[in-house]
Amino acid sequence: MKQTTFLAAGAVFGFLLSRARATDYAAIHGMFTLTDLHLFGVIGVAIATAAAGLALLRRGDLRALNGERIHVAPKPYHRAVFAGGLVFGVGWALSGACPGTALAQLGEGKLYALATVAGIAGGTWLRQRSAVNAASPAQVS
Amino acid sequence: METWPFWLAGLGIGAFVPLFAFATGKALGISSGYSEMCALNKPASSERWKLWFALGLPLGGVASALLAGGPTWVASSSDLTSALGLGGPAQLALLALGGGFIGYGARAAGGCTSGHSIVGIAQGAKSSLIATVGFMVGGFAATWGALLLAGGAA
Repeated sequence: MKQTTFLAAGAVFGFLLSRARATDYAAIHGMFTLTDLHLFGVIGVAIATAAAGLALLRRGDLRALNGERIHVAPKPYHRAVFAGGLVFGVGWALSGACPGTALAQLGEGKLYALATVAGIAGGTWLRQRSAVNAASPAQVS
Repeated sequence: METWPFWLAGLGIGAFVPLFAFATGKALGISSGYSEMCALNKPASSERWKLWFALGLPLGGVASALLAGGPTWVASSSDLTSALGLGGPAQLALLALGGGFIGYGARAAGGCTSGHSIVGIAQGAKSSLIATVGFMVGGFAATWGALLLAGGAA
């Protein structure tokens, strides 16, 4: 599959995140202070829609347009999932961003998101380095 | 920034997941794209597409901003200042620290809000449900902790 295809797909997804206000610090802060429930609604509808669509794909036993088998397998469970989730959540709240929205923010003109993106890359590197040393299953993704 | 109602945004993001899978055969995931950024000095793996997808995200942000008459380039977040009373270098330090938690936590948990919370829960995956409960608990704890530290400057 061509690189430009994935670049274009990323652009579409970034556009959606922006329109959803998922790139808005105030929306994320409002979600965690329960003063703005908009993003809970977005996430809920997104999960339901994705579930319906994935179920249709599975029922149709379809192949992807490029002939590949559609590979959407559940992520494995291991001991670090919950603790990792907690750490991620702290970062989500502090920076008002997640890995996707930090990048979309950059395009919106929010240059301060460079700090967030650099932090995410650093955290990723740190975890992978320690995970290699501990030979834990953390690199499974 | 012009935005969509929650149901339209949710439909769009949700529909993207099966459409992306149908077009490419792959499961949407973003945090692992940062692993590819960290592996640029190594030969391209079969996961290199994640890097291209991640690089596309800012383009979508630009398109969204252009439609709203932007983009307006800003170096600091007025929202963060009004929420926690932080500006300038302190703000950038907080964002970088938060980013560090995000990157470390996502790799430990094996995914982020897209791969776990949307794609994973949509498949009914136990690991994704547990990770997402962690995201939420961590987010609430950090938000209220930060507000307390900032003297309730909400």
